[in-house]
Amino acid sequence: MRYSGLRVFTEGLFGNKGWKPAWRDPEPKREYDTIIIGGGGHGLSTAYYLAKNHGLTNIAVLEKGYLGGGNVGRNTTIVRANYFLPGNQEFYSHSLKLWEGLEAELNYNVMHSQRGLINLFHSDGQRDAFARRGNAMINQGDDAELLDREGVRRHLPYLDFEQTRFPIYGGLLHRRGGTARHDAVAWGYARGADQRGVDLIQNCEVTGIDIKDGRVTGVQTTRGAIKAKKVGIIVAGRSGQVAAMAGMRLPIESHILQAFVTEGLKPVIDHVVSFGMGHFYISQSDKGGLVFGGDLDFYASYAARGNLPMVEHVMEAGMTLMPMIGKAKVLRSWGGIMDMTPDGSPIIDKTDVGGLYIDCGWNYGGFKAVPASGWCMAHLMATGESHEVARRYRLDRFATGRLLDEEGTGSQHNLH
Amino acid sequence: MPSLIEKSACDGLLPVSAGGVTLSEPAPERITSVAPFAGKEAAAGKALKALGLGWPGPGTSIGGEGRLCLWTGRGQAFLIGAEPEGLAGIAALTDQSDAWARMRLEGGGAKAVLARLVPLDLGAGAFPVGRAARSGLGHMAMILHRSGAQSFEIMVFRSMAASAVHELHQAMTALAARAAL
Amino acid sequence: MRITCPLCGERDRREFYYYGDAVYADRPAADAAPEAWDDYLHLRDNPAGETRDLWYHEMGCAAWIEVTRNTVTHEILATRLVAGREGKKAAAKGRGKKA
Ligand SMILES: Cc1cc2nc3c(=O)[nH]c(=O)nc-3n(C[C@H](O)[C@H](O)[C@H](O)COP(=O)(O)OP(=O)(O)OC[C@H]3O[C@@H](n4cnc5c(N)ncnc54)[C@H](O)[C@@H]3O)c2cc1C
Ligand SMILES: [Zn+2]
Repeated sequence: MRYSGLRVFTEGLFGNKGWKPAWRDPEPKREYDTIIIGGGGHGLSTAYYLAKNHGLTNIAVLEKGYLGGGNVGRNTTIVRANYFLPGNQEFYSHSLKLWEGLEAELNYNVMHSQRGLINLFHSDGQRDAFARRGNAMINQGDDAELLDREGVRRHLPYLDFEQTRFPIYGGLLHRRGGTARHDAVAWGYARGADQRGVDLIQNCEVTGIDIKDGRVTGVQTTRGAIKAKKVGIIVAGRSGQVAAMAGMRLPIESHILQAFVTEGLKPVIDHVVSFGMGHFYISQSDKGGLVFGGDLDFYASYAARGNLPMVEHVMEAGMTLMPMIGKAKVLRSWGGIMDMTPDGSPIIDKTDVGGLYIDCGWNYGGFKAVPASGWCMAHLMATGESHEVARRYRLDRFATGRLLDEEGTGSQHNLH
Repeated sequence: MPSLIEKSACDGLLPVSAGGVTLSEPAPERITSVAPFAGKEAAAGKALKALGLGWPGPGTSIGGEGRLCLWTGRGQAFLIGAEPEGLAGIAALTDQSDAWARMRLEGGGAKAVLARLVPLDLGAGAFPVGRAARSGLGHMAMILHRSGAQSFEIMVFRSMAASAVHELHQAMTALAARAAL
Repeated sequence: MRITCPLCGERDRREFYYYGDAVYADRPAADAAPEAWDDYLHLRDNPAGETRDLWYHEMGCAAWIEVTRNTVTHEILATRLVAGREGKKAAAKGRGKKA
């Protein structure tokens, strides 16, 4: 079923009785060519591009819960291409371009809103770092503008420009940055994959990976054994657990990141604003809620909820930056499990097991990567070769020292 | 060489009072960090005994007003108000006299003031007179010592003096205002 | 979450700084093979369940503490001073076990 304005209108006339489920709910077959473990954003986009770009359709996506129930439905939806290091730059640049065509591509409203992202800086040194970053972004073909203090004030008059702890020196404006509706992206890719014949199998947890003579032969699941020639592990915060089923130890530590949303308010925050020094960032959703967050809780965890000290810290940082939000009531807070790598950059690679691939290590920045990650993982699984924009996302880069440490904080998983 | 004016950390900031609680700065005294070298713990204890004190166990202090040995961490104590005689060669000694802002909080409501800023149980059972702790005063690292039933000694890094006084005074006035309702 | 410092007693989580897996306390010898360093710096068991990691009593007594805890429930099961460990080998052996 194609979605269109006309369709919405005519369905409205007839009591909205003609809508069909957006994807099937098939029983798992005994065997597929390819299995994707994990029905989050990355798993679904990989399945979609395997079908769309490579014509491979005998595929199952196995999801232990429901589609979009993981981080893809828990994040704060920032989409941007403002990376500094070669390796990351071309990848996120590619991803942003895919975002810009995604609604037409998927015939699905993912509510991609390029409202502009402003990263604030608070010292001369930080200004220099952001100026360099902006130049790197422009060289990559993306957009960046360095704003001085007055420039920031024109965009964000409501910030506290008088505060002395982190005085606002300016900001880096990335106009093509913005937000998207998080679960809509999962649903859009799910629908597109389903239409191309991919089986999306929910409530199906992978409990084992079958390997024979160094090659993957299938998986064990809570809905029985399923054979496959190729298997992709794309399970975000659970990567270490699933990789262990294939005898692998990953350079990953799982951590919680919390997020918060207030009651709905009239439009007040037009951009995405990030206050790195205070560990705080914020945007306003189309429903009016202020969506904001801070840093990791900082200790390894598999609990999808955080602790109060970080709640307090995020609120304090928010009040420091924009005291006007003090009267807004927080409605909900939640957490998601982040697959943190020792350099803060992801992994899209083969493993030592034939036919077994892995896409993981997205830290807290994997939402914006959903299109390009699927694109590149599909390319890798279909052709056996890394896609050119993801060729540095190798699993062995830690052992060989070719790290992609965007923040320069060193090999400690929780510092990125 | 210009002649510099010697000032204590809370000079010009203290004393302040509210609601029967007073925050004041004790007279400056010599503070020496004493960290016994490996295997010299007993010898350090003996040297401190000779000074009329002793080696304090975790969370405790020995002595009192004017001459005090305060536990401040693993293998470390602060000798306050006495010269570190007999300890050279036995323990690493560092003069920290000017490194700390010392404050004394006294009065019936002192415990209630601290309850607003310090995440510890300061009841007489859990934190009796003589007890020492390292913890937080708001966002600041702090050394806390109960010097009397209604008095506490607080130490923060010297550069934090104004913030600590501000936070404590705010808690004092808030409690006083509430009591006056 | 409250962590019991072996010296200070039970304290709020905010008094502590988290470093990472307890393997950090077992640094390879300077001339160890690159694989040993890769293992030490990067690779993790990352268990969902019981784990051991290093915490620093930063806003307290400045002791390094090895905490045994559950990464799913956030329950703290045991703590001890890193300085008081019986020695590298015993700890390394324990670490290999899967939770
Ligand atoms: C609070 C928060 C804020 C964030 N903010 C942003 C942001 O602003 N911008 C940004 O770019 N990124 C952000 N992120 C990061 C982003 O959400 C993640 O990097 C990304 O969603 C991870 O990829 P995914 O969508 O595939 O993960 P998920 O949606 O978690 O998908 C993984 C799926 O695998 C399934 N699975 C796990 N184990 C098994 C198994 N054994 N068998 C079958 N299925 C299994 C899970 O149930 C899950 O559905 C944020 C994350 C959080 C938690
Ligand atoms: Zn302690």
